[in-house]
Amino acid sequence: MSGNNQEWLDNNTFHHGEFWDILKLVEEKEKKGLSISLCIPTLNEEKTIGKEVLILRSELMERYPLVDEFAVIDSGSSDKTLEVARNFGADVYLASEILPEVGDKRGKGENLWKAIHQLKGDVICYVDADISNIHPRFVYGLVAPLIKREEVSYVKAFYDRPLNYSSGLRSSGGGRVTEILIRPLFSLFYPELTNIVQPLSGEYAARRRVLEKIPFPIGYGVETSHLLDLYEKFGIATFAQTDLDRRVHRNQTTNALGKMSFGILQTFFNRLHVQGKIDQIPDLETFYRRFEVEDGNYNQIIQEVIEEERPPMIEVESYFNRTSDN
Amino acid sequence: MSIETTTKDLDLENLLKEIPSLIEKLREAREIYLTDAVLLGEIPAPTFGEEERIRLAVDRFRENGLDDPEIDEFGNASAIIPGSIGSSSILVMAHADSVFNAETRHVVNLGSDFMTGPGIADNAIGMAAVVGLPKLLDQLGIKLKDDLLLLINTKSLGRANLEGARGFLETKQRPIRAGICVEGAEQGRLSYSGLGALRGEISLVLPSNYDWNSFGASGAISHLTRLVNQVMEIPVPKEPKTKMTFGEIHSGSSFNTSPKSGLLRFEITSEGDEVIDEMEKQVNEICEQFSLETGTKVLLEVVARRSNCGIPFGHPLVKSTRRIMNEAGIVPKVDPSTGDLNVIIRAGHPGVTLGLTTAENLREQNETIHLEPLYPGMAQLITLLQAIDKGICES
Repeated sequence: MSGNNQEWLDNNTFHHGEFWDILKLVEEKEKKGLSISLCIPTLNEEKTIGKEVLILRSELMERYPLVDEFAVIDSGSSDKTLEVARNFGADVYLASEILPEVGDKRGKGENLWKAIHQLKGDVICYVDADISNIHPRFVYGLVAPLIKREEVSYVKAFYDRPLNYSSGLRSSGGGRVTEILIRPLFSLFYPELTNIVQPLSGEYAARRRVLEKIPFPIGYGVETSHLLDLYEKFGIATFAQTDLDRRVHRNQTTNALGKMSFGILQTFFNRLHVQGKIDQIPDLETFYRRFEVEDGNYNQIIQEVIEEERPPMIEVESYFNRTSDN
Repeated sequence: MSIETTTKDLDLENLLKEIPSLIEKLREAREIYLTDAVLLGEIPAPTFGEEERIRLAVDRFRENGLDDPEIDEFGNASAIIPGSIGSSSILVMAHADSVFNAETRHVVNLGSDFMTGPGIADNAIGMAAVVGLPKLLDQLGIKLKDDLLLLINTKSLGRANLEGARGFLETKQRPIRAGICVEGAEQGRLSYSGLGALRGEISLVLPSNYDWNSFGASGAISHLTRLVNQVMEIPVPKEPKTKMTFGEIHSGSSFNTSPKSGLLRFEITSEGDEVIDEMEKQVNEICEQFSLETGTKVLLEVVARRSNCGIPFGHPLVKSTRRIMNEAGIVPKVDPSTGDLNVIIRAGHPGVTLGLTTAENLREQNETIHLEPLYPGMAQLITLLQAIDKGICES
């Protein structure tokens, strides 16, 4: 490992345990005049959303005022997600009702992007809704490096202690898509980004000033595109990562991961081209093809996966006007 | 009727009038105890393995504003909310241990009107109620004259023989006015007596030189079955009320291997201590005789024992509790306890056990509590504390 990589790992990799004193974080936040918004994007998460809202609101808004604003942004759930979230005190928004003039696209990235417009904080922390062992560390572990280190703008979560702690050396702990798709691609084209242990984790916190300057794929590619775009603009020093220990969540089928990889690859190749790392790419197919076997017959399953992107929020007129009014 | 009695009645009436608004306030403040129920409930705490849950309880006591919470030599977490006078204390306790082992996936799910997860009723929500009391009382503007002694006790269930609560009360020499044991379920439960009980384990082992060729030789399962049949022949009297429960039996590992050892766990409960002693003697004799006749090694180990104890039904603490329950819309159901209440009463203090809410699937992985009944359940607890503090519950 090169000296720079090791230096970045040493300086920009944290463990949530370093930030256990939430009261101190609140004091530092207030001293620096920062405001923090928390966004949970949802689509049919009635089983886990209640607990997330309860724990995060009561611990990080009521007990310790670390979070100033907390919103659930929903893609149109058909289950009781909205009812349960409201019941436990969350501000709930439908993504389709935010910035109606730009239309409505379906995907988690859409919710994350519209949160930049809806929420007011200098820092926005995103936490997925499907965490069954939710704990306040999922938020304070991510926003703490932003409170403490001005040069850091984007903090990613990782899980399961990949580094050499007292329990011994363990593997890097990424998911299947990370290990067989993202890490090989980063190793080929963006070696410095391989330092990010779990590039696809759905929990991260970032400063508004960087989030508003990057485009948002609305589908699977949003996490990857954040890393590639921010790396291109600001370099590795803008990132940090925090070990949040264990995360218990739904396990996805291999088929679902294949579709996800297909979406990520679209985003990835587009970035490679735009950033001049490859000369030209053909028009990429948007149909993901796989097989199913039924009664000895092979059937091809074709699903359309289009990785549409939203432009940087700063380019949206009503957002630009809002920020220039302030 | 004496002037003092009239004053106490008036005091109680005044408290009862506050219950409807208290229920609403506790509904609004539910984040405090529901959050702790999740955080405490998601930490495994089998009996004798409660350390991590206890550490969190201490942290939560501290975060709820108490200066010196402590963990004692028995592993219990305790803290004190100082009273305005503090010449005596009220003990409020909830046991930390759960019947689920550490390998069980301890995840709590929360819906609009329910919480589900292993041990959420027994006793995560009970613990949360105790741990949250400092903050709740503060928010409700309730200041007691007595010190409030809060205890999350270990080693309450199974083989533990109430060691946590017993150790705490034996070493914590404080003037205690009364004690309340808080259980998550079942709402309406009103225990004011401790039921005599004996928990025993019978182990049966075939010796290494066991003669498999002799007449009647068989594996541990066959022997254990015959032994159980003999123990079941012991007469169980109807008066005093007595019950014998065969709770667990373990032996063997496959289809075709005769096991060499087995274990039986049973409990005798009775309103007559002498009945328990007599039945224990008979079980012991059966074990000895069986051992000699079969060439097996059979041993009875008594792992937990409690004597009968209680306060009268007409004790002011019981009477006040019943009135409070009625006012909160809770129907009291008298239910003698084999739990920690036994220790409080044996130590000479009046005490009751209360259940906070209704529950389903008790002691199963999908154990569920209902939230709507929880708010009156919490109100009964806090009103009873106020009643004890005002001296209403003293004989």
